[in-house]
Formats: sequence, structure tokens, C-alpha cells
Amino acid sequence: MKHKPSIVALILALLAAALSGCGFKDIDKRFFVVAIGIDRPADNPKNYLVTLKLAVPSPKIEPGAAKAQIESVEAPTIAEAVRLIKSYVDKELDFGHCKIYMLGDSLAQQGYTDAINWVSRRRDIQNVAYLAIGKPDARTIIQSNPPAERYPGNTLFLQFGKDGTESSYIISTYIFDFVRRVGEHGLDPVLPIMRKEKEEYIITRVALLDKEKAVAALTPSETEIFNQISHHMTKSTVTANVNGEIMVLSVNKITSRYKIVKEADGSHMLRMTIKISGIFEEAPMGVYSADWAKLEAAFNKQYEFEANSLLKKIQQAGVDPLGFGLRYRATHKGSEQTWKRWQTIYPQLKFDVTAKITIEGTGISD
Amino acid sequence: MLNRISTLFADAKDLNALRIENNEMIIEIAYISSLCDESKVSDFILVPFQKEQQPFDLILERNPQFQLVHDPAMWTHIILRGFVLLSVKGKIYSLDTARIIRNETPLTQVETAILGPQLALSEDLVDSINIIRSRYPSPDLGIEEKTVGSMSQTRLMMLYDNRHVDPNVLSEARLKLQSIRIDFLNATGQLERKLNGKRSLLPTMMITERPDRIVNCLQRGKVILLMQGSMFAIVLPATFYEFMHAVDDDYDSFWMTRMLILLRYIAVILTITMPALYIAVVSYNPELFRVQLAFSIAGSRSAVPYPSFVEVFIMLFMIESLIEASLRLPKYIGSTATTVGGLILGQAAQQAGLVSSIMIIVTSVVAISNFVVPVNNMSIAIRFVKYPLIIPAIFFGITGVTVGIFALVCYMTHLRSFGKPYIRIFGPIKAHAGDIGQVREE
Repeated sequence: MKHKPSIVALILALLAAALSGCGFKDIDKRFFVVAIGIDRPADNPKNYLVTLKLAVPSPKIEPGAAKAQIESVEAPTIAEAVRLIKSYVDKELDFGHCKIYMLGDSLAQQGYTDAINWVSRRRDIQNVAYLAIGKPDARTIIQSNPPAERYPGNTLFLQFGKDGTESSYIISTYIFDFVRRVGEHGLDPVLPIMRKEKEEYIITRVALLDKEKAVAALTPSETEIFNQISHHMTKSTVTANVNGEIMVLSVNKITSRYKIVKEADGSHMLRMTIKISGIFEEAPMGVYSADWAKLEAAFNKQYEFEANSLLKKIQQAGVDPLGFGLRYRATHKGSEQTWKRWQTIYPQLKFDVTAKITIEGTGISD
Repeated sequence: MLNRISTLFADAKDLNALRIENNEMIIEIAYISSLCDESKVSDFILVPFQKEQQPFDLILERNPQFQLVHDPAMWTHIILRGFVLLSVKGKIYSLDTARIIRNETPLTQVETAILGPQLALSEDLVDSINIIRSRYPSPDLGIEEKTVGSMSQTRLMMLYDNRHVDPNVLSEARLKLQSIRIDFLNATGQLERKLNGKRSLLPTMMITERPDRIVNCLQRGKVILLMQGSMFAIVLPATFYEFMHAVDDDYDSFWMTRMLILLRYIAVILTITMPALYIAVVSYNPELFRVQLAFSIAGSRSAVPYPSFVEVFIMLFMIESLIEASLRLPKYIGSTATTVGGLILGQAAQQAGLVSSIMIIVTSVVAISNFVVPVNNMSIAIRFVKYPLIIPAIFFGITGVTVGIFALVCYMTHLRSFGKPYIRIFGPIKAHAGDIGQVREE
């Protein structure tokens, strides 16, 4: 056979044509979903209300030029709702740039398992997208249009990501991390709570979740301490009230470490040391010549108290977002028994927080 | 003799076949006047013959420039190369009086360097060898002469450093030169194609006009092929890396030249992959962009009626015709035409909604980075490589591009240049597969 190689090549080419994966679809024939909200409608709590924010691209990128189309559909399952929305729009939906998956507050309270199931199963959903809880519901948040947005969804992306604002009150949670925390013994998920005020978004609080639903929410100041302990968030502050004067320290460096130790009486104790160093951001004049050791002691005392009560609040909610259980499992002989033992230990665990706050300077003035 | 010569040649006016006599003897001379320097003919033959200070046959015997010709079959060949044929007392002699029209002290035009030597090789073999020898004063320089082309009888010179050259490369080069079947050999590129194999995607021999590059290569044990009538030389064997190396890299500031080398590799990768990647990312995997870019591309593409690959073909067609036109047009209009054409076409095509503004950028990046490659024959070969990559991109998206690039790398590693691996960073030397290690670097 003289033409053998060319025939083989032809057959291979024909076979390869059958392999084509996701179809050829130009970028302008796609509708980019930038945010999804998943709610339980109040009147029909069996159903899902899925809201998509679709970006309407424009070649000009200017402040306030962002145009978005909002589509909401109610259906018994999320997948059905998304399929239904496809017949509402003229272009193919593309989740490749969807960075925000927002769960409604009521959905989070009732149980998020189905929603996470859908999110983690679809291959076109990016694992590096953010999860959040929308209050009072996801739809309201998704629908709002911040006036200065340059392109649709930008405000959301910047608030959650580290590109834009870095606030100590925002704890952003990636989908992959959330799914890991849902599946892991001894480590529970947290989600930021997003509220809407006028046309702006506000994230100041974090919700604590167990493996099925949201169980508690932290206040903004608790969120900041949580962020300091768990993420070593340096763009944060430490506040103390010394002799009636409020002093604020801007944090330069945080380290925290803890140990779970068994006491003589058989109870367990968690010893945590938090080292923080920072510079005064707010202090009365003359603080330079004051006795810093005394100030530090006052800071330490108040911080220890706040951290202690935060840990107790988390413990009382019955969740473990800081991963104490995982640490216990990792440092003790591994078997099913270890985990069961921890489940009896954790509700009775005592906390002993030692803060070591160092004042490095008084800022530029003084 | 004269009768035989007149039967061998067609009726040509410039064929001089004369019989002259003095007191002593009669001689016959034959030469083609247009190929010869007539003053030489007169100085060496006519004047001494007529003056008769010495017996003319004695002059012929004593002067080594007159060479005895034994084989009558060589006569036409000798005359056609600008020699004079003499018949004296039954013996036939030849004398070199060739006059070759050539470019005088040519300057580098194709491969320019700012701080390097500005002199290029000459179109005449002797001048070229003069340039090379004066830069390479080594007794080890070996020069072999070959003739290629059944009609053109083009003279080739093979230069190498006897001490550094790899004998296997040398013998393979000799073998390949012998096996060339061609009627007319006009340019070095033709010879390179014959040596390389017809359908080769990438050149495995360098074509250069720079004497400094040649001297460097000689010193590193490479073989140089010079051709009569061409100011370009072939350097063999060559690796892919050498094509990315400009002579300036050895002359200019160290850090900047390292950066330029890096830049060239990036440019080559860009020029090969950009059109394919554009199709793949725009039509299959737009999540690869940052979201800002995705939206602005989607916005600028929304007016484009055709799928992305048609857009790519339109723009590539345009840019390739511009490049081709600038090459074909006379020098003086060339640059104007391309500037005007490029600017107006690009701008208008985007405003008319035929292509997106990002595609204009892609096209210009592809065109510009293509010319960053310092060696011209590689630059042209690379200009083609982007097209085969577009096809898998159309059908399989980013996966297709990846597979295509993988196939290209496989092909490049499979290539051998006279037994030397073409692209090798590390890896064992396999003698049984004709791989005899890299040419020595000294």
C-alpha cells in the first residue's frame, strides 16, 4: 500500500473530529455570569430561587458603565433553574468568570448541602470562586448595582479578592476551601455575610457553619479578632481602653500558636499565645513618654479577654472553624476513637489565651 | 585543436580562436573574450610570444601558471571558466585569465550588527576566502573545492578547521554534496534546501553573510560552505539555539544581551502560538483571561460577524500580504506602502467591524516578534509554523494548541543536523542513532 501513512493520518483526523469537547462558541456568543444567588423563596421553601447576574460587555470600560442583566427563576432544583434561565437569554451561559456564589440567609439557616453539591459538581464552576451568605437574601444583593462600577461584578470581585480592598472584617472563602472544610472532621466552614445598604455592599460579619447549616454569626469586632487569630490579618487594629482613653494599635505582625494539653485532673486545656506588634494609630499626646510596659499590659489584658470570649462563643455554637479538632487528630494516634474522644473533649475544653502585644512606636507624631 | 573547439562550441561571437606565429613557431589559442581579462591574455601570452626574448615553450614549462591539460574532454569546461587554452608543439596548456564581475566590498544588509564588523562576504569565492582567511589566520584552515549542478557547474568551497572539525560531520557533508542532483544552482538557499531535505519545516543549517559569525563557527569546529556567485555561506551543523543568537550578543553589554536572548525566545513562542491561542481562548476557554479582558474582548468582538478563526485568517492574510508586498515592491515605495497599508487597513478593519481591536494587537505582535529572529532563514521558517497550530486550535481549543505545541517540540527534538541533535538541553548521546555529541564549544 503506497498511501498507507496518508490513510492513517486521515483516519486519525476523522477520529479526532469526534473528540471535540465543549463546543466552539465565540466569546461574544457567551453570556458571562458574574454572580449567582441561591435562595429559598419565602412562600415556597421547597423550591430554589436562582438569580444570575449576567455581564453585558461593552468595549468601553468607564466608571458607572457596567451593565448587567439579572435573571431569576424558581425551580425545584438549582440545575433545573439554571437550565430554565438558558431559555430566557439569547447567548450561552458561561460560568467561567463567575466568582461569587451567594447563598441566601434562609437557605444557609435551613441547610446548604444541596447548593454546595451543585456548586462543587459542575466542572465549569471555578474552584477559586468565593462563597458568601447574602442577607436578607441573595437576590437583593445580586440585584443591586453599585454606581461606580467599571464593569459588572467588579465591586464584588474586588471586595472579596485581595486585589482591591483588604479589610480585617472580610474573610473570603473559596469554594475549594469550603468543600474541604465541609468534608473534614475537626474543621468547620465559615462564610462572610454580605449586606446591602443603598447600592453598596457591606461585609463586616462572618457566619459560623456546621456541616449542614449556619449556626451563629460573629459581630464585626469578633470577626476582626477571628481574622487575626486564623488568618494573621495584619491590616487590622487592636483597641484598648486605658484609664478612660481609647488607644488603637495598627498591627504590623501577628503570630498565633496554640497547644492542646491535658491537665492533671484529666480535663483538657487549650493554651494559645498570640503575639502582636504594632504602632499607635490613635493615642493621647505624650504617649511617647508614658510607660509602654504598662500600656502593653493593659492591651494584653483586654485582648485576652476578648479572644477568650470569642473562643467560648465559637465553642458554644458547637463548631470548630479554627481547626482545633483537626490539630488534635493530627497530634494523637489516628483511629475512629480519637475523633470520638475529641467530640467529648471539645464541649468541655478550657481556653487560656496569652496575648503578647508589643508597641513598636507611636507613629509619625509625638 | 582549433577545429575541435569550433565544433564543440555553438557559433559564438565572443569565442576567440586564433592561430598566431612568430619566427620560431606557430601557436593556437582559444578563449572566450567576455569571460577573460584581455590584458592578461596579452601580458602573459601575446607579448612574450611576439618579443621572443625567451623561447615560448620554455616560458610555458617554467611558469607554473600554465598548466598542462591532458584530457581533451576538459577543454570546454576550462574555456567556460574563463581560462585560455594554448596549443604549443602538440601540447595543450591552460592559463587562468578569468574576469569575474562581482559586488565590491559589500556591506552587511541581511544580518546587520551595530558594533560588529560591517563587511559581508563577497559574491566571488576568492574574495570571500580572502575575507575569512584574513580573520582566521590559522594553518589548520582546510579548503576543499566541489562542483555542484550538472549545468551550472557551480563551484563550492568547503572550509573547516582541520583540528576542531568533527570528521563524521565532514564526511557526511561530503557525501551529501556528492549526492545532490540539480541542474542549476543559483543561490545558497537552494543548496540548503537540497541538503536539508525538501519538506523540512525548520532549517538545520544556518545561512549567513557575516564573516565574524563564520569565523566563530569555524573555530567551534563547524563546516562552512561557500558558493560562487552568492554572498551567503552555509554553516553546518547548527542547533536551534544558534539561530536565536545574534552576533551582537557577544559584542554588547552582558546583561542586556542576556535579556535580548530571553526576549527572542519569548518572541518566537508568541509568534508561533498567538493566533492559535487567540482562537482557543476566545472560542473555547474565555475563563483563561482576566475578567476585565474577557469583557473588553467580548465587547469589541460583538460587532464581528464571523467566528474567531475567520477573523484570524483575514488578519493573517493581510499582514502576510503586507510583508510580501514590502519585499516585492521597489525599495523606494516599499516602506511607504506598508506603513500606509498597515495603518489604514488595521484601523479600518476594526472600525468596519471586520475584526476586533484585540486581533489587531495579536496580528502586530505576531508580525513584529517574527522579525526578532536574527537568522533570516529561520525567521522565514518560523513564519509558517503558526499555521499548522491554528487547525487544532479551531477544533479542540486550548487542548489542541497544547497537543500541537507538544508535536512541534517532538519534531524539533527528532531533527538532526548532520548527526547532531537539533535541540537538546540535556540527554544522553546515542551513537547508534547517528548522534555523535555536540560540536565542541571552545
